[in-house]
Amino acid sequence: MKKTGIVIAALAALILIAFVAYDGIFNKSVSVDFFAMNTVGTLKITGKDADETAKKIEAQLDLLDSDLLSRYNENSLLFKINSGLETENEELAAYVRTLIDVSRKSGGAFDFTLGAISDLWDFGGNASIPDSAKLLQELSHAGYEKISVTDSRIVSADKNAVIDLGAAGKGIALDKAKEILDAQNVRKAVISVGGSVLCYGEGDFTVGIRNPEGNAGEYIAILRTNACCVSTSGNYERYFEKDGKRYHHILDPKTGYPAESGVVSVTVISENGLLSDALSTACFVLGVEKGGELAKEFGCEAVFVTADKKIYATDGAKAMLTVETEGYILAE
Amino acid sequence: MNIKLLKKSDLAVIAAVVAVALALLIWRYASASEKLEAVVTVNGEIVETLDLSAVKERRAIETKTTPATVIVAENGAIFFESAECEDKLCVACGKLNRKGDTAVCLPSKTVITVGKAEVDAVTY
Repeated sequence: MKKTGIVIAALAALILIAFVAYDGIFNKSVSVDFFAMNTVGTLKITGKDADETAKKIEAQLDLLDSDLLSRYNENSLLFKINSGLETENEELAAYVRTLIDVSRKSGGAFDFTLGAISDLWDFGGNASIPDSAKLLQELSHAGYEKISVTDSRIVSADKNAVIDLGAAGKGIALDKAKEILDAQNVRKAVISVGGSVLCYGEGDFTVGIRNPEGNAGEYIAILRTNACCVSTSGNYERYFEKDGKRYHHILDPKTGYPAESGVVSVTVISENGLLSDALSTACFVLGVEKGGELAKEFGCEAVFVTADKKIYATDGAKAMLTVETEGYILAE
Repeated sequence: MNIKLLKKSDLAVIAAVVAVALALLIWRYASASEKLEAVVTVNGEIVETLDLSAVKERRAIETKTTPATVIVAENGAIFFESAECEDKLCVACGKLNRKGDTAVCLPSKTVITVGKAEVDAVTY
């Protein structure tokens, strides 16, 4: 064998090994489940810093709940604000400002001050239909109009109004995760926090919309998107049934009872996690027509699944959507 | 490149090296096998991985969590058979036997996933 042959063979091998090594380093992939914010999440991250980024996001989301958003943890800022012990926090004030905007533009269909009413229903624990007098009493204390934000100061005009960020927390978590991803060497990531999904980085993503009648993991339609946040509110998540009627956790702020707008789930696609999360709740309460208008007002897209198995989508969402399950049809 | 510089044996060596490297590449990228793999994790740590297509007889999987759960694999499916948690939503998920099927027990931080989902994520 001549030297030339050996050199060429060695070079070919070197190039392939270098390619594999480069790919192994810069396309390193991590996929982990984690538990935070009283829900389950998944981190799928590709890039040089994949491992480190996953650890940072997990730690950050733990703190987000315990230090800031939890309504029950005595050390969290929200607990202190609801208790009147604190009023100032720049970050929380920014979230509340956005939520006031969503509440106002939805005409009150979204309201982040229903904490006491949610407690009466207790969907996370021993759920039952609350006493109507108690419900009305708590409802009289609720109302987003009672909350105001000046700079970083959050003030409530009714000390019994209980701010609850349950309809926004998962979206806020996605925004936090995005901040961390931006600062790391990461090519692509899909972060799911309790069903709210952040698609981050290069290329296309596929997000399934859960089958309202199926198990977790089953989907009826696929959204093909670029980087974005996708959140869904559905009547199948936390509910109980009594006398053949389903009582679910998405409450109509006007009545204090589960919203009945004919939809069983709403998915909102937005650049912003907080907006996608809050708007999915608002759109659920508003229903197809008004909900679609609200999503558009915020520059977002929405997909509505109705009880009669029709799928309504805003124009932008329609372009991303493929229905996958027989029995469901895309309405014009 | 002047091909006359190379003997047949040289070409054979080059071909062999390239074939081995390509085989390694294919192995690396084709690691997602055709098996129907179920993964059980507790608090994000994998405690059991099994090929459901090969599971015929009943097999119980111990996770030693609090609250305790009983996970069973049999006849190509895996499921939470019982759980000591309050809501038992994990048991209500039923048998998982298709790609993308998932069941979660939040109180015990246990997740069962089957196969690699065909989408990047499912929103719910």
